[in-house]
Amino acid sequence: MNLLRAWFAGIPAYLWSGWGALASLFMFLALWDWGSQIYGDLVLPGPLATFVQLGALVDAGAAWPELAVTAKRALTGFALSLAAGSVLGLLAGLSVTASVMSRPIVTVLVGMPPIAWLVLALLWFGTGDATPVFTVFIACFPIIFVGALQGARTLDGQLKDVAHAYRLPLRMTLSDVYLPHVVSYLFPAWIAALGMSWKIVVMAELLATPDGVGAALAVSRAHLDTAASMAWIAAVVGLLLTAEYLVLEPIKREVENWRTAL
Amino acid sequence: MSRDAFARLAAHPLFLCGFRPFYLATAVYAVLLLAAWTAMLAGGLPMPGVPGGPVAWHAHELLYGLAMASVAGFLLTAVPEFTGCAIVDRRRLLGLTLLWLAGRAAYWLSGSLGIWPAAALNLAFTAWLLSLFAPPVWRDPGRPHLSLLFALAALAAAQAGVYFADPLTWLHVAAGVLMILIVLAMSRISMRLINGMLDVEGVTGVDYRARPPRRNLATFAIGLFTAAEYLAPGNPVTGWLALAAMAALFNLLNDWHIGRYLLNRWVFLPYVVYWLMALGYGLIGAAILAGWPMVSAGRHLLLTGAMSLAIFVVMVVAGRIHAGYWLDRRRWIPLAAGLIVVATLVRVLSSILTWVGMNHLFLGISALGWMAAWVLFLFRFWPVLTGPRPDDAGGCAEPARKPETPIKEFAC
Repeated sequence: MNLLRAWFAGIPAYLWSGWGALASLFMFLALWDWGSQIYGDLVLPGPLATFVQLGALVDAGAAWPELAVTAKRALTGFALSLAAGSVLGLLAGLSVTASVMSRPIVTVLVGMPPIAWLVLALLWFGTGDATPVFTVFIACFPIIFVGALQGARTLDGQLKDVAHAYRLPLRMTLSDVYLPHVVSYLFPAWIAALGMSWKIVVMAELLATPDGVGAALAVSRAHLDTAASMAWIAAVVGLLLTAEYLVLEPIKREVENWRTAL
Repeated sequence: MSRDAFARLAAHPLFLCGFRPFYLATAVYAVLLLAAWTAMLAGGLPMPGVPGGPVAWHAHELLYGLAMASVAGFLLTAVPEFTGCAIVDRRRLLGLTLLWLAGRAAYWLSGSLGIWPAAALNLAFTAWLLSLFAPPVWRDPGRPHLSLLFALAALAAAQAGVYFADPLTWLHVAAGVLMILIVLAMSRISMRLINGMLDVEGVTGVDYRARPPRRNLATFAIGLFTAAEYLAPGNPVTGWLALAAMAALFNLLNDWHIGRYLLNRWVFLPYVVYWLMALGYGLIGAAILAGWPMVSAGRHLLLTGAMSLAIFVVMVVAGRIHAGYWLDRRRWIPLAAGLIVVATLVRVLSSILTWVGMNHLFLGISALGWMAAWVLFLFRFWPVLTGPRPDDAGGCAEPARKPETPIKEFAC
């Protein structure tokens, strides 16, 4: 309970520390604005024009449904790869043979360009939800798999012996010895994969589906509407930034606390 | 002035330490300047015919007259303390004071005398300060205070721009440099002030540290905005950079959130300085991006607000400690600081009211409140600054007497 209260008391300080990130982002917006002044609105609409356009899209009710469809696909693909990647990676990490065996296969998967998977997926699944979901899954899988594999491979054998010597119950061994270590490898992999899924899904939608942010981007490109394109991009990046700083980063800090506490 | 009279004048307690004449000059000039400016706006006094017009006069005297006096007073006291060099001797201090006064007279008369005498005297003053501080700051091992020297040099460069190029453009640059100087000076003072307070209160486990990366981000952001405003005033790029400066200043306050001790006056007043500064840059940024005519209101948040309050806080702290008194614990300090803040907010309000087409009454109220704060300061500090020390120590030394209530008093 106290822990929870301390955690909640830390929220304002955490939110306030976001000002540092905002300072950098504002400098980036300045650079963007400068670029748009050099190349003109047709090539690169400025941040203000983009945000106004985004506001218009939201007001017109066009933004949220597309974003929801995209988010659903990204998260489905991500959840699948999270489950498969974590379980298979951990299993492979338990055995030296399995990890040696799986390495080259993972290298092949990582080396395969997502756009190639997309082409295959289009041939296999046609246009529809399955294509972007599969592309996201197959692109995220190796990242999570490698994270889980390394987490399992680097488990401290001495700690295991200590736990054994003290006859720690299995449940405690798992939750206090193995879990923190494995999670500290898994979690960064999950975050990297989530960012990846968000990018891949837009790319897949651009070529494969009639709806979603990617499709909206394709439409605005066809209309040579750079402002609308930038608005969609800003929406996607904005959502990613929000998720990253409001949800994932706090959890990451929490999970990695034990490292600094050592 | 004869040599004898000069020596007798220099022997006055006012010239015991560098801050004394300049802190006095700052407060006296604050009241005089705003009284004159209000009278000019009301039509009771003719507008000064200086090059660049009345607004340039107003800004120049507040920045290079008033703020420069307080900067001189601060550095003349702080540099010897930071670097361990000797304090400025009385005759030089009197010379500096007279040069500052001559600079004021020359600028007021620059409409008829031309800009050259004013430029020569005012630049000579800044150059003299630089020549006094450069050797000890440079010789100091590791040169931890070099940034103060750079800021003063930048202030001098902008000053040359005011006289020989477009006055208002360069006065805006000077305002930016002053903001950087305030952040640099405040971070040095606040470390000692806040940790001193925490020690006195017997607080353990709470620790205040002005972290250099955050400070560097803030000064970098302010510098970037200042440069952008010089190169492209009113451009959206400048607006975004103003917002970046706001965010970087708010980011600085991460160091300050130390729980309820934040409400201690010696913590809270510097804290408010940063708030005003951040809000000022925020308003400037919003005004540029949205096209509101509120840039001047934002500038007044920076100068009437943040700068005045920073000067006030430094003067009530250093002005007593280095005169041999312990920190003032009376109520007038929060009162005067509150007057400065309220006057600033009323000044901003008057910009909004002018924008929507209402009268200038608020301008007068704001000026009166601001002047009242400095009158209060003068009332309390005249004897401290012009009188002899209450102890046997000399020069700028910290109080040699035992504090009356030893537990609650501390030096900065």
